[in-house]
Amino acid sequence: MQALLAKRTHMLKVHQTLGLLTTIPMVATLITGPQAKAKGKNGETITEPTSANLDFHLALGGLTSGMYYTAAYFSMFAPTVPGVKPKGAIRLHRVLEWVHGPGMIVTPLLGIEAYKQENAGEKVHGLASYHGTAAYVTTAAYGAAIVAVSWPIHWKFWEK
Amino acid sequence: MNKKILIAVLLVALPVFAQTDTQWVLEQSALTYHMSHPMHEVSGVSHAAKGKGVCHAGQCDFLIAAPVKSFDSGDSNRDLHMVEATRGAQFPMVIVRTQFPEAATTATTIYADLDVQFAGQTAQYKHVPFQRVSQGNQVQISGTVPATCSDFKIDRPSFLTVPIKNEIPVRVEMTWRPM
Repeated sequence: MQALLAKRTHMLKVHQTLGLLTTIPMVATLITGPQAKAKGKNGETITEPTSANLDFHLALGGLTSGMYYTAAYFSMFAPTVPGVKPKGAIRLHRVLEWVHGPGMIVTPLLGIEAYKQENAGEKVHGLASYHGTAAYVTTAAYGAAIVAVSWPIHWKFWEK
Repeated sequence: MNKKILIAVLLVALPVFAQTDTQWVLEQSALTYHMSHPMHEVSGVSHAAKGKGVCHAGQCDFLIAAPVKSFDSGDSNRDLHMVEATRGAQFPMVIVRTQFPEAATTATTIYADLDVQFAGQTAQYKHVPFQRVSQGNQVQISGTVPATCSDFKIDRPSFLTVPIKNEIPVRVEMTWRPM
């Protein structure tokens, strides 16, 4: 039992660390999103994003996905303790998984479609046009999931 | 010969008759540990302690025990981590033994020497003050055990590489009644 608890703690610590680190490329991907988007309305001159901007955004998205799924693995496969029901902040954390989890599947798929359309010289259309919205919702849910298990936060780093 | 036997019996028996044992039982309790981290203040409480006390020949011996896993901080993940960090699966009980003179049981402040068995270690706390309030035939005892992680060789859990404070004081609120 002690070994099981130790393995569980280790896996959840990795999940926590990787999960926090994932916010860096995730936010960076969100910030670089507008630079990877064609600008202008239909019927007007459309300014295509540069390949560098597109590729950089794509690479950040790929990094985010890789880190996200690795962090998720450590949570999903951490051993559970029989008879212990989730209680407290972890419940909201788990509910929010149902938002950012599918979001992390849908957002890259829509992103790939959007990338193809951009490369074909088209303005992003159809479902792919929801790539940005999906990314914002996913990031918001992800951030809320982190805050949920960190709340209430007391900032007292100056105290020894 | 018979006279000698009678004297011997009386010598053994008289002190026994002279001593009146008082036994106490723990009726209800709240043991609350407090953990401090720069980002979090956490308390975990247990109401599952059992306890018994015997006062005999002017000396009182008390024993209180609570399962480590019975401490509830309101977050099941944190509680499981606490059980892991304190080796609670291997050493499932926290056991406190204390002794003090029977005369102290009527004082408003009892200074107790505590032997605390926890996480596979035993720590001693000398002269810990407990407030005593009598209500009917019940006695309420309250105080704080100045426990620390290092007393029990507990690796302090950390968050964002910052460990919790070494001090994990345990607030004790107990109601005792004579048996």
